Amino acid sequence: MALTDTRPETGTADASVPTGEVGFPANLIGSGDHKVVGLVYVVLALLFGIAGWVVVALGGIHEIGDGEFLSDAAAANLFSAGRIGLVLLVAVPFMLGLATYIVPLQVGANTIAFPRAAAAALWTWLLSAGLFVVAHSLDGGLGGGRPEAVDMTLLAIAGMVLAIVIGTICVITTAVALRTPGLSLDRVPFFTWASMVAGSIWLLTLPVLVANLALVYVDHRYGAPSEFGIEGGQLAQVSWLVGQPQIYAVMIPGLGIIADVVSTLCGVRQANRGVVLTLIGAFAALSVGAWAQPYFYPEAQDQALYAGMAGAILLVTLLFVGGLAATVKAGKPSAKSPLGLAAVSALLLLLATVCGLLYVITSLELRDTGVYAAGLMALVVAAALTAASAGVMYWAPKMTGRTPSDAYGKLNVLVLLVGGALAGLPLVVLGFATKFDSLADAADALQGVAVAGDIVLAFGLLLTLVALVSTTRGASVGADAWGTGQTLEWACPSPPPPGNFGELAVVRSPEPLLDAAEPAEEA
Amino acid sequence: MAATHALPPAPPVQRPRVLVVGSAFASAAAVMVFVALIGIYLSQRADALLAGETWLPRGLDIPLQQPTTMLFTLLLSCVTMQWAVSAISHDDRINSYIALGTTLLFGVSTVVMTTYLWSLMGADVSANSQSVLIYTITGGHILMLVVAMAFVALMAFRALAGGFSARQHDGVSAAAIFWYANVAVYFLIWISIYVTK
Repeated sequence: MALTDTRPETGTADASVPTGEVGFPANLIGSGDHKVVGLVYVVLALLFGIAGWVVVALGGIHEIGDGEFLSDAAAANLFSAGRIGLVLLVAVPFMLGLATYIVPLQVGANTIAFPRAAAAALWTWLLSAGLFVVAHSLDGGLGGGRPEAVDMTLLAIAGMVLAIVIGTICVITTAVALRTPGLSLDRVPFFTWASMVAGSIWLLTLPVLVANLALVYVDHRYGAPSEFGIEGGQLAQVSWLVGQPQIYAVMIPGLGIIADVVSTLCGVRQANRGVVLTLIGAFAALSVGAWAQPYFYPEAQDQALYAGMAGAILLVTLLFVGGLAATVKAGKPSAKSPLGLAAVSALLLLLATVCGLLYVITSLELRDTGVYAAGLMALVVAAALTAASAGVMYWAPKMTGRTPSDAYGKLNVLVLLVGGALAGLPLVVLGFATKFDSLADAADALQGVAVAGDIVLAFGLLLTLVALVSTTRGASVGADAWGTGQTLEWACPSPPPPGNFGELAVVRSPEPLLDAAEPAEEA
Repeated sequence: MAATHALPPAPPVQRPRVLVVGSAFASAAAVMVFVALIGIYLSQRADALLAGETWLPRGLDIPLQQPTTMLFTLLLSCVTMQWAVSAISHDDRINSYIALGTTLLFGVSTVVMTTYLWSLMGADVSANSQSVLIYTITGGHILMLVVAMAFVALMAFRALAGGFSARQHDGVSAAAIFWYANVAVYFLIWISIYVTK
């Protein structure tokens, strides 16, 4: 029997382990450090995001006029790639990357749980994402004309989901099992809480997507195909992933980012913290949409539950924004870009939830065409990406040890606000064309504005990436880069060393850094 | 002659039980795949019966004897798995090895019986949507069982290498959680496909 017991998660954090013996890219590919893994996720998601919005824009251009910009097959492939890609290649990995980097720091852990699994998840996701792109370029989008490539797409999506599930398990296990003493679940930072509940929802719903894909694959690969594998039914079976209410699930971690940014940059403790945590949990519960699969249950969208969830999520969002507004009023808001981006994200989410409520009103006939749903999806994804961009600007000093250029961030506030609104709202308006004939006449103009919004959003993500890179020329910062940090990540040196923390004091409140500062101020 | 010292009792080990927590989350995700598949199966079946059709087409014959034998085999494997957890928590290595080995044997038996059942059913995957559903669900379960067996085998090897003790046996407990989830999934399949048909 071993005489000494070492916490297994501290194994990789041992400072005596030789480092730097291998060069780039081996030290990148072979790293199990959650900071490296998280940063790679973020950078790749930003790159995929820029490409993703361009793909959506190209699909939008095809819709203008007579639809002769692309061949029908190419347009269908772009449609499939844009819808699935914006969720599984961009929004979810972006949030997962931030969570992989930040959650261990926020809970005072030396590393993420299962660091090698987290790294394996990253590279599995990247490999699957590459396969997804290649398969689509070979006419293999869902419902595409080349059967082998379609099978490849199905496997690629399943691979991405598997990777995201593994990465999510690493994050939520860290939050559940590796918290520092005293940091009970009701004291964890908002982003950690939001990542936990988002992870739980992803774990419950993304496997349902795998089930759908398995049926499509077996039928398409080995079957006649019958009901599941037929061309017209493939995208329809997975469309619930990008529809209401499931699409809101990509935004759940964003709520945590917004809440953390607001409380830190306003320099006050969040009032009614338990209520805010409950609201984030309620938002997550209301975004479970795996049960509402119109392909199998056409009547699901006519049920009172479906309509009730849309109304409830708007109410929850309003209460959440109201709670944060009270914090802004009580504090001294700092005119920094993360706060502006958080505000834009909250505004876009509010717009999306209002549009979501209209969507469930049967008499408006907004479900008859896919254009309204596309606009709704664009608004929610834009809100999520804006929240994630706020997270990048907020935690960039922690990640790099230097400040990013706030000018890029402030420009991005405007760019993402304009981009998000232009990408989503024209399509939402166009959804009313079944009611108002004049809107049908303006379809080309509205599509054109939406295309412009997609391009602006791509530019916004490029700005986020540039801002992150700009830290190489920024001023060095200490552990608490903002000077008003409340949570444990700001107690750790910037950038965090291997092992993250030394000895941590027992946590006695949700804002341990304020606890430490207050006695000194009183003295 | 070396002096002997009475050492103070060791402090309680702080066990974050990371592996157990992670295994529970992974099990939940795996179970959700089958909940979704079985949900679609039952929904399709209900639609067919509501339309006045028979669900299983002519030529697709599903016997009950083999699935029930498999159910009891897997239930027995839960006993042996718990035996392994109990033995390793008492530092009883011999019993741990026997229990883990027996569990793996039950797993192999289930794989063999499932493939035999498929040969008895004699249905082609491409025949109809019922066949697609049944083969996807039962095939998926076999895949989950193989993953569970690999997990148990890995933990058995780690136990052989002295990786676990009475104070630290989370690996075996984690494998047990995934195994129990697998058996629970089979119970759902047994009820919804083999019994209900």
